[in-house]
Amino acid sequence: MQIKKEFVRRDVAGETILVPFGKTIYDANGLFVLSELGAFLWDRIPDAENEETLVRAVLEEYEVDEATARADIAEFLGKLREMGIL
Amino acid sequence: MQKKQTEPYLSTYLHSKGAKLGLPIGGNFELTSRCNFRCPMCYVHNAENDSEAKRRELSAAEWISLAKQARDRGMVFALLTGGEPFVRRDFFEIYHAMKEMGILVSINSNGSLLDGEIREKLFEDPPFRVNVSLYGGCEETYRSMCGQPVFEKVVDNIRTLKERGIDVRLNLSITPYNCHDIGKIYEIASALNVHVKATAYMYPPIRVNGEQYGTGVRLSPSEAAKYMVSWDKMRFTKEEFLARAENMRNLCSVNTRECAADMEEGVSCRAGSSAFWICWDGWMLPCGMMPGPAVDPLRDGFDAAWDELRQKTAEIRMPHGCGTCPKRDVCPVCAAVCVTETGAFDRTPEFVCASTDALLTETELAAKEMEPHAD
Repeated sequence: MQIKKEFVRRDVAGETILVPFGKTIYDANGLFVLSELGAFLWDRIPDAENEETLVRAVLEEYEVDEATARADIAEFLGKLREMGIL
Repeated sequence: MQKKQTEPYLSTYLHSKGAKLGLPIGGNFELTSRCNFRCPMCYVHNAENDSEAKRRELSAAEWISLAKQARDRGMVFALLTGGEPFVRRDFFEIYHAMKEMGILVSINSNGSLLDGEIREKLFEDPPFRVNVSLYGGCEETYRSMCGQPVFEKVVDNIRTLKERGIDVRLNLSITPYNCHDIGKIYEIASALNVHVKATAYMYPPIRVNGEQYGTGVRLSPSEAAKYMVSWDKMRFTKEEFLARAENMRNLCSVNTRECAADMEEGVSCRAGSSAFWICWDGWMLPCGMMPGPAVDPLRDGFDAAWDELRQKTAEIRMPHGCGTCPKRDVCPVCAAVCVTETGAFDRTPEFVCASTDALLTETELAAKEMEPHAD
């Protein structure tokens, strides 16, 4: 899976934020804050073949049932797609 | 004109958290004191070709090193300012390096150099925002105030940046030189659809004037109030103006500060709490308007200097009378105002008291004119 925009991921004041740089600022002029799960997924998206890879990674890391994991991942990826990031 | 500009919630939240945790969320980097304009009210300016001023400026490598240290401590937002930052030929070396660190970089500029190669480089790697100071509404005002008749050029540069998708905002300093132009400036801003942050209060420029506290090229309190109310009448609808007048009246009629009568007020903004200012010659201040407390990040490293700055800023106390004044919530007084007007943080800045009184009076008069039958 490919992140199409340029962001620097930073951990500041206990928050995980994405700072746009390069021409990404034209599309996303501001900061994004990631939840714990969002940060977990963000770090794994570049190496993930597909959504299934992420589901397996979440199930290995978190005490969560598969349906919830799938729903949360779909929601996060859906938001990234909406914003043209994924 | 864009009417309202509210700060994104996340920025406010990060600054609040930064203040609590001692993190420098916002940094101001005064890259140079040199400028191609010569505005008489400016708080820091040397001639563009001033070789001694240029020699004393930090190098690009020093700016990048300080920015990296600040980023490592938590800085997210940076403002590159001057002087006119684009007179530095190595501006983009600093700018690109800071952006690659994951910092949201904004730029303050007089707008006159935002063309040609500079503009193309900005289009390739755009800033978070460009704040342009618009000094007048015609060439004559620019000639008399800035020394250069570049009004059309500045407006054209702003228009082009906007058309290419760069976020531009305007700063307007209303002074004796350009007060007659504010109607034209409003029309230009409206046509460009950019937000304008206007002020008729000029800090005494004591960083360049030494200890001449309370002086400067600026309008008197009553003149400043008249022009600010004129500006407000342009930018607000009648209903908005009346609501604002009522709000100001209410804020002054209910003294919410009586219970704080025994409390002293410290620095109330982000300066020295979650933000810092590094001057062109390397000294770090809470805010660029203040002459101090100054610390030395080049000698001591950013971390130690920031910790020292926070500690010294926390010791600042504003006048006791300001803390309990019923007009405090409509008054622009701050620690920088006090020290530049009086030479001390805890001395009452009478000029600003008079300015607030005049603004309240002018606003009331204008509100009554709008509602002639109101009691």
